[in-house]
Amino acid sequence: MTDKAQILIVEDDPQTAEAVAEIVRELGCTPEIRITLEEGVTEAATGRYDVIVFDRMLPGGDGVEAIARIRAGGSTALVLVLSALGRAANRVEGLEKGADDYLAKPFEPEELRARLRALLRRATMQVLDNDLLAFGDLEIRLKARTVHVGRRHVAVSPREFELITFFARNAGQVVTRMQLLENVWNLHFDPGTNVVDVHVGRLRRKLEEEAGRPVIQTARGEGYVFAPLPNAGGIEARA
Amino acid sequence: MKLPSSGASSGPSSGPSADGTGSPRPAAGFAKRPRLAPATFRLAATVALAVTFLSLIGMGLQYKLVEARLMQAQTSLLAADLDGFAALYDQRRIIALRQAIEYRAAATTTTNGAATSAGEMLLLQDRNGVILAGTRPDWPQGLPLLGDGFSTEAAQIFSDSGERWLGVGRTLPGGFPLMVARSLAPVDATLAALRQAIWLLTLGMLAAGAAVGWVAARSVMGRITRINALADKVAAGALDARLPGPRAEDEFGLLETHVHAMLDRIEGLNRATHRLSDSIAHELRTPLNRMTQKLGQLRGQDALIDDLRAEMRSAIRVFDALLDISRAEADQGSGGGLVAVDISALSLELLDLYTALAEDKGLSVSFDVPAGQHVLGDRTLIGQMLANLLDNSIKYCAPGDSLHLSLTEAVDHISLTVRDTGPGLPPEIRGEAFERFVRAERDRCLPGHGLGLALVRAIAARHGAKLLLPEGEKGFVLHVHWPKLAV
Repeated sequence: MTDKAQILIVEDDPQTAEAVAEIVRELGCTPEIRITLEEGVTEAATGRYDVIVFDRMLPGGDGVEAIARIRAGGSTALVLVLSALGRAANRVEGLEKGADDYLAKPFEPEELRARLRALLRRATMQVLDNDLLAFGDLEIRLKARTVHVGRRHVAVSPREFELITFFARNAGQVVTRMQLLENVWNLHFDPGTNVVDVHVGRLRRKLEEEAGRPVIQTARGEGYVFAPLPNAGGIEARA
Repeated sequence: MKLPSSGASSGPSSGPSADGTGSPRPAAGFAKRPRLAPATFRLAATVALAVTFLSLIGMGLQYKLVEARLMQAQTSLLAADLDGFAALYDQRRIIALRQAIEYRAAATTTTNGAATSAGEMLLLQDRNGVILAGTRPDWPQGLPLLGDGFSTEAAQIFSDSGERWLGVGRTLPGGFPLMVARSLAPVDATLAALRQAIWLLTLGMLAAGAAVGWVAARSVMGRITRINALADKVAAGALDARLPGPRAEDEFGLLETHVHAMLDRIEGLNRATHRLSDSIAHELRTPLNRMTQKLGQLRGQDALIDDLRAEMRSAIRVFDALLDISRAEADQGSGGGLVAVDISALSLELLDLYTALAEDKGLSVSFDVPAGQHVLGDRTLIGQMLANLLDNSIKYCAPGDSLHLSLTEAVDHISLTVRDTGPGLPPEIRGEAFERFVRAERDRCLPGHGLGLALVRAIAARHGAKLLLPEGEKGFVLHVHWPKLAV
């Protein structure tokens, strides 16, 4: 579904730009690189892009300040800010100014890949308003806030329900710890401990006890993959 | 998780204040400025009193002068009288004197009706005290007989029937007592009128001086108030605040110019600090980013690559913590960028995040957090502070220890308390635990850089919150006193 997606990369460091472009190509999308803020804004105005990866300290200005201009220009692209300004305060500022996601440099390829996938999914997905998220016998009811495996109810805490919902919306894809902290706990700093792992571990144990098979897998180094269907196996299988 | 445990609401105990700032500045907002009125009033009163005092001295001198002149005039009149009587005595002795006195007494009686109010008092007696002539029937008390001539020497001032008189008593040759006196009533009346005028003038001067002083003080104070208001605005975080309008060509104008120059410099330095941290971030993270990308191209040494990545992440965290600390310190005391944060909800969210970790480690977690407490703050920073404190407690506690988080509302602050039963701060680093890179010897084997509590302190300072480390507690106990949100 992301085959023809176009991604605009506005980045003045050629090595970083190329690394991002490489990841974009791996995702099966077409990258387009611009170097200065003005070029980026002009290019974004063509409206061809699903996602724009914007640096902040660019020749010509701050990418975050350009988000409003891009939106005003009619672009519906989702914006991922990729910046060396990576402190929590910078991230919050970027998100408040309209960025859809914010990733600090240095970034790990898996992290950018996971975030771009999540954005592409959002960009192409229809509004998801159905109450039921079903993965084989695993069913999540959003309004009732319940999780069932077959007919058995899985007791989850409110936070665990948020967690499984976020996983379900990104099923089959790597979800990183920082993504979980940002989306499930609304925290934009890196606590530096494995604090998220404990929560995922608990949820995983509960689900696996009921389902009798692995539901959440650990992606080496970076995060987790919610793969509730036995045949969905690998991470890349559903990408 | 259990609800309020005993010892939940221990108040802030005494102890060394690890005040975020390290200096005794007011924690919450700014101490109320002393009211303006006293200074204005003092200045006005000083002006009024000084003016009045000076004019009182002037009027006093004038009064003395007038008094002296009037007395001199009365003395001359008395001398003239005595000269007249002396001339008569020279001609025909007592007889002439007696006639003259009789004549004068009769004249005064007919014109005025009352002898004594005529302004002169005359009396001539014979050697037996029988009155020969005079304006009164007896010798007045208080006027001794001194000498025998007609000079004004040793003139006496005496009182009679409520008036003051200036006169002489003489014993003329042959034993005839003669008394000649002039009333001082006109002098006294004039002086009394003068005194009254002086008092009225003094009151007038006081009022006028106070009015003038008030106006002068108001204008001076008004200009000082302008500068004070600017200082308040700057202290409240508006570094770009400046005084509007033109500046006068005087000392106040100069003061304003100096204040503006100082503020420009502070603002410039602050901006440079902010720019520098951004530049450091950019210049350091860009090469680190290239290294990370190149690591991604390596194959076959996964464990090593993971190690390197973890090291880089840890380096970035140290470096972010340092930048966070300096930014929070630079923004210290400035209310800019702070909004009302539901500290109750945030505390519970962070507690929820860390409880799983604590329970996995075998700690029991409890809390006492009433809903709906708000403070003026930055949600991310407060979250980082809570995360650091909870993480520390979990890191240092052993299985079986307990961790308690409470929020209590006091009269003038909201107190957030983190309490654990772990080993607490080692005594040797108690005093400096909130400094950067301070770690206890015993913790060398645990991960960390000694920046957690330094960040806690910087974040507290950013919010005008006070840190209290009560002494004599078992385990680690820290109270954070947040200024109350103005309603």
